[in-house]
Amino acid sequence: MIEQYIPIFLVIGVSVVFSMAVIASSKLFGPQRPDSEKLSTYESGMKPVGGVRERISIKYYLVAMLFIVFDIEVIFVYPWGVEFKKLLGEQGISALVPMIIFLVVLELGYLYVYKKGGLKWD
Amino acid sequence: MNIYDIVFYLFAAITLASAFVVVTARNIIYSAFSLLFTFFGIAGLYVLLGADFIAVVQLMVYVGGILVLILFGVMLTNKITSVQIKTGTLQVIPAILGTALMAGVLIKIFTGTNWHSQMAQYPTKTTAYALGHILLTDYVLIFELLGILLLIALIGAATIARKEEKAS
Amino acid sequence: MEFNTIYNNLFYLVPEIAVSAFLLLVVLADLILGNNKKLLPYLSIAGMLVAGFCVMNQMTFSGAVFSPSGQSKSFGMVTVDSFGAFFKLLVVISTILVVFFSFSSEEIKKSTRRQGEYYTLILGMVLGMFLMISATDLILIYLSLELMSLSSYVLTGFTKLKDRNSEAALKYLIYGAVSSGLMLFGISIVYGLTGSTNLYVINTLLQSPQINMLALGIAGILIFAGIGYKISAAPFHFWTPDVYEGAPITITAFLSVASKAAGFALLARFIKVTFVSSVAPSGHWLLIPVFPWKELLIVISILTMTLGNFTALWQTNLKRMLAYSSIAHAGYLLLSVAVLSNQGLVAMLVYFAIYAFMNLGAFFIVMIIANKIGSEDLEDYKGLGYSMPFLGVTFGMFLVSLTGLPPSAGFIGKLYLFIALVDANMITVAVIALLNTVVALYYYIRVLKEMFLSKPTGEPVSLRLSPLSLILILVMLAPVVIFGVYFTPVVEFAKSCITILGM
Repeated sequence: MIEQYIPIFLVIGVSVVFSMAVIASSKLFGPQRPDSEKLSTYESGMKPVGGVRERISIKYYLVAMLFIVFDIEVIFVYPWGVEFKKLLGEQGISALVPMIIFLVVLELGYLYVYKKGGLKWD
Repeated sequence: MNIYDIVFYLFAAITLASAFVVVTARNIIYSAFSLLFTFFGIAGLYVLLGADFIAVVQLMVYVGGILVLILFGVMLTNKITSVQIKTGTLQVIPAILGTALMAGVLIKIFTGTNWHSQMAQYPTKTTAYALGHILLTDYVLIFELLGILLLIALIGAATIARKEEKAS
Repeated sequence: MEFNTIYNNLFYLVPEIAVSAFLLLVVLADLILGNNKKLLPYLSIAGMLVAGFCVMNQMTFSGAVFSPSGQSKSFGMVTVDSFGAFFKLLVVISTILVVFFSFSSEEIKKSTRRQGEYYTLILGMVLGMFLMISATDLILIYLSLELMSLSSYVLTGFTKLKDRNSEAALKYLIYGAVSSGLMLFGISIVYGLTGSTNLYVINTLLQSPQINMLALGIAGILIFAGIGYKISAAPFHFWTPDVYEGAPITITAFLSVASKAAGFALLARFIKVTFVSSVAPSGHWLLIPVFPWKELLIVISILTMTLGNFTALWQTNLKRMLAYSSIAHAGYLLLSVAVLSNQGLVAMLVYFAIYAFMNLGAFFIVMIIANKIGSEDLEDYKGLGYSMPFLGVTFGMFLVSLTGLPPSAGFIGKLYLFIALVDANMITVAVIALLNTVVALYYYIRVLKEMFLSKPTGEPVSLRLSPLSLILILVMLAPVVIFGVYFTPVVEFAKSCITILGM
């Protein structure tokens, strides 16, 4: 039922309102005396060097894509995990087989990326 | 108008308005950011349909993975080669005619069709159980095939991203 | 569904399992062997031979497996029948030939480090095609289509040495994403109408009169968009020339034969299983009157062949010309589906059996010449008939066969198509197709004219064929010559392979 989601709505509502309120109140009530030091990019006390838009290695995308692939893998593992006890009761130990095949195939992919240096950042 | 309707229209409005911004924003970064709200609104619609697991997947994969990839892709490649990645509008009238026609047909279909429907209880516990069961029994072939599809996607991504060796 | 049933069902899927196993083996071998990539192509060929053997064993099988629980046993997700076996054999043969092509391709040799990926992705495409050929469930259809497309996007941009290559891959990907999105939308409408993704179940539901025709019509068009993109039918063909030109020639040849074959098998099975209520004794299919497939297919096929043939006239790049020619051939093949009869199916199978060899042969010779002279422009083919007489003559034979002139095998393919058309009283369509063939004659013959009647520019090139290339050319030439004269066996074989399980 939709009532189950009331806490989620509350969290969303509170986080939106709270973040907006904090920003707005500091704008409204805080003293504002900007100078060039204050307006410069904040880099944890260091002087900012170079442009922001540097060319990033394609490897970044590779890592991001790997993340998505394994993200999807985990999503398929989850429903299997919650249902496993029931499946085990119904089918016995053979309930493991499809998942093992699935994981072996994907671990082969992981092995592939690892061996080919896809995870190395050089 | 009960609470369901209100929530539905709320999420539908979020989805549509942000999708409109995705298409019309001049700056591609704005487009990418408002895509976040589109995905979010769709996740809300999934919840209303009783597909809570799909909603979580929508948030995890689309918002957590794909959108972040898109955003970084846009932010990291924008302006590197002095090419401004911006959107433009051209062929407005043919496009309006085409989409209006398409929209008309689709509206006709969606209002005039006797859709196959059956009464169902709104699920009281998460649908992950049922999904897990069906995935491992009826659709086990699809499940294994997905494993191979993901493997191919992984290898394909690695192949494309790898630097080409110089021809010796 | 019980696990025991699943294991029994797997018996029908042996070819697919073999392909998957070899796919994983190739990945593993690539990792273990390190820099020694010599073994990988042989491993892929071994995989194809095993898969081919399993398919041969299944020739007489028929049955649908992986039926969802609560459904009748015969309403499966995967259908195994002789029609599917024929196409799987075709895919196996063309894959083996393409792997052999890759041995002598300069483009592929240059990327030595990524040989493993190349063969893995080819096997991934084969797995996708196998499942496309057998799929009778919309989810499986979509997934296998995606598996094949995903591998082919990467293969298209495989060499990365030329800009054209990446451009082709990107175009292919974007077109592919749009058309698979359209297809998915169509699938969702069908699911909304019938509450099922199984084609057999949908068929029984369509026979009831409450189905909304407009919704189903739009869904049919949208699903056809997804399949039409794969077979490069007319409004969805725009990617074909660019992709065929930009991709490595081995992959172009593979796309133009194998993936097209899988797409046609899918189309024929989709229409037959979903929209046909019964088959008349004369072999004609009786459509459920919910969607005008016949009219749609005829219009699209005429559009496709005319567009392909007329645009091919202006091409100066041989790969591009062959791309348009393959669009035109897709048009002829669509007619064989449009006939909606068993005769049409026979024509389609005969046509494909011949088309595979002649098209692969033509691409192979273009590849050998490109390896030597580094170009595929018609300009550079001037006088090549004299400096490379053997290649010139064999290329000529392949082109004559592609035109469909007697006594080549291409003629037999067209002959059976026209017989099927006349048999179905589609005389006007047959005449249009015939006129198209005349147009096709012009651009095929133009290549021969350049090769034999023009003076060579620059110094003459000589080429020593490797024994492997010689054998490959002869292997592909033999069917083109022999089937042209002695075609009974191939026709008989095709006639024995037209069982599509369904109503």
